[in-house]
Amino acid sequence: MKKRKKLRIIILTAAGGLIIGGALTMYMFNMPHRDVTETDPDYYITSTEIVNEYLANSDTANEKYLAADGDSKILEITGNISDISEDFDGNAVVLLKGENDRAGVRVTFTGETEPDEGSLSVGQQITVKGVIRSGAAYDKDLEMYENVIIEKSVIIQ
Amino acid sequence: MKKKMFFTIILVTVLSGMAISQPAKRLVTEKSQIKFFSSTPAEDIEAVNTTAVGTIDRESGKVVFSVPMQGFEFDKRLMQKHFNNDNFLDTKAFPKAKLTGRITNIEKVDFASDGKYDATVEGKMTLKGVTKPFTAIGTLTINGDKAEVSSVFDITLADYGITFKKGKPSTNIAKTVEVSVNAEYSQE
Repeated sequence: MKKRKKLRIIILTAAGGLIIGGALTMYMFNMPHRDVTETDPDYYITSTEIVNEYLANSDTANEKYLAADGDSKILEITGNISDISEDFDGNAVVLLKGENDRAGVRVTFTGETEPDEGSLSVGQQITVKGVIRSGAAYDKDLEMYENVIIEKSVIIQ
Repeated sequence: MKKKMFFTIILVTVLSGMAISQPAKRLVTEKSQIKFFSSTPAEDIEAVNTTAVGTIDRESGKVVFSVPMQGFEFDKRLMQKHFNNDNFLDTKAFPKAKLTGRITNIEKVDFASDGKYDATVEGKMTLKGVTKPFTAIGTLTINGDKAEVSSVFDITLADYGITFKKGKPSTNIAKTVEVSVNAEYSQE
């Protein structure tokens, strides 16, 4: 009798473990992407400041802003629009760049966060929030400065 | 004396006019799409990146592409985390991949004449800090002062020291992945 009870407990524990393990695996596998628009920024910074921070020491800046699993820091960035365009997939792109800056911040919006057509203009100061993908650098092969890349952006003001 | 000065002014004007009307030597793209595709019996995995920057030198055929690796977007967040982590591409330590090469048949591409040209690129690619020789074929479509590049090539991950020894990614990610590149270039 005691043996049967013990066996029942073992079976129930194993089944419970399997269900919890399966549920966790399913959750992990289907884990939704982080909603950048709903997440508080990790840093508040201007486009000039982040460009200069990267150009001064990209290793330190990468250590500060990039995450090993790709969920890197969310930044709220203020700067002046120096160009408006779109990426290959048709998402709106603005370049925030100070007049005397060697590089800028390339900000890409998503279908849901895209600013209304005509609402932005070159020279205008805006504040955006988005996730950083890479920093500014001078590339000797490209023979040009690369911009800071910010994606999944939304306009704050 | 006056005549000499007059001709000098004319010469300078003509020369500077020529310099202005000369098309820029380089084409630049910030409008590109790089796709990574892996197929195994377990699942197909695709990721898209639209953040790369590239240049083509019309005279020498020099081609450069710099790709921010954290710009690859996956359908599933877990896949994206695996792709970025230090067992796979370690994108925090190696945030950019780079291709530098030369279009070997650049003399056959007439940038002044609209049309589609086959192009072969030879050079080297750096991925996760490892540099290996690289060859790819593609097409270069000239349309006025713009150009479009299209190419599909394979990358064997182990060549770049990218291996998953255990766990789900070791069975679900192909040993050789297909990369397709499409880019729209304009004058610098």
